[in-house]
Amino acid sequence: MAAEATLHDDQQNDNELWQGGHSPFRLGYGKVMMWYFLISDTFTFASFLIAYAALRFTQGDMWPKAAEVFSSVPVPSVAKLLEKLGANPEKLPLVFVSFMTFLLIASSYTMVRAVQEGYRMNKWGVVKFLIPTIVCGILFILCQYFEWGHLIHSGMTPTSHSVATKVNNFGQLFFVITGFHGLHVTGGVILNIWLAVSSANGKFDKVGHYEMVEKLGLYWHFVDLVWVYVFLCFYLL
Amino acid sequence: MNFDEPVQGHLHWTDGEYVDGRKEVLKTIVILSVVTVVEVGIAIGYEKLANDAGKYKWVINLLMAIFSVIKVIYIMGTFMHLKHEKKGFILTVLLPFLFLVWAIIAFTVEGSSWQYMRTWLNAF
Repeated sequence: MAAEATLHDDQQNDNELWQGGHSPFRLGYGKVMMWYFLISDTFTFASFLIAYAALRFTQGDMWPKAAEVFSSVPVPSVAKLLEKLGANPEKLPLVFVSFMTFLLIASSYTMVRAVQEGYRMNKWGVVKFLIPTIVCGILFILCQYFEWGHLIHSGMTPTSHSVATKVNNFGQLFFVITGFHGLHVTGGVILNIWLAVSSANGKFDKVGHYEMVEKLGLYWHFVDLVWVYVFLCFYLL
Repeated sequence: MNFDEPVQGHLHWTDGEYVDGRKEVLKTIVILSVVTVVEVGIAIGYEKLANDAGKYKWVINLLMAIFSVIKVIYIMGTFMHLKHEKKGFILTVLLPFLFLVWAIIAFTVEGSSWQYMRTWLNAF
């Protein structure tokens, strides 16, 4: 008993928790399972990106340069506006995709703020921060729609290449990987809309906690996390 | 920590925790934005930098990889709350990624080898 009493508080609680009936990680079941799903999903994306690396290395100097492929702003109305302002929308390398990156980073921030409002049991705070998250997600999907359209018009498809992309592999990998990521964003937006509606209806006040916001928050941050690496592989290197 | 709710974890914050949490998140978003701006800046000037640096191109690539790792650490640590979880859980999440270290090395080496075979076969 004397030895046990000298144990650090945290450690002592560990021993108690391992005796059963409690989560040893002191986390809800759903949150742990969301993490495990995200780990498995990381491996799916990692195998795509590693395939990208392997195929890129086989092409050597033939691999297209990101600043040449992604050199324009593909949204017609924005391009017109830029022309009026004196900029050439065809020669703004990486500007558009940087905007997409900032959309995801901003939505990650509002999502984590929604989670924090959930910890305070602040129903309308959660809804207030979920709405900009949903808007940023939808804008991201729209941006991807315009970018894909622009690239397909320039001749790059999963089975062919444009002047700028030089090799077929680039198109294959680009559409598969950004498409799979876009699918995740779409799923996240749908789940976030459900989450905002449920919060507004007071579903989580009845449950007594806002853990669901945290679980879907984990998923949404994961989508941002994957984009960091998609961005690195396709646009930065 | 509030031990009244050990099964669900720590789902209700006090005022103090809320204020600290807000500050931490604000700091993180500023760091993420700055790192992204620097990354894009380097990427736009990549060709020029790579030409000037000559054979030191790998330094730029390494720098980009380090920037991405920094971003991931902040997103997972702060946004996904991982750094505040128990040590056992942090290890559960992070250790599987050690397999990827092997996979990345193996497949990039394999890719280089395919390229070599391709040039070798083209000679005939």
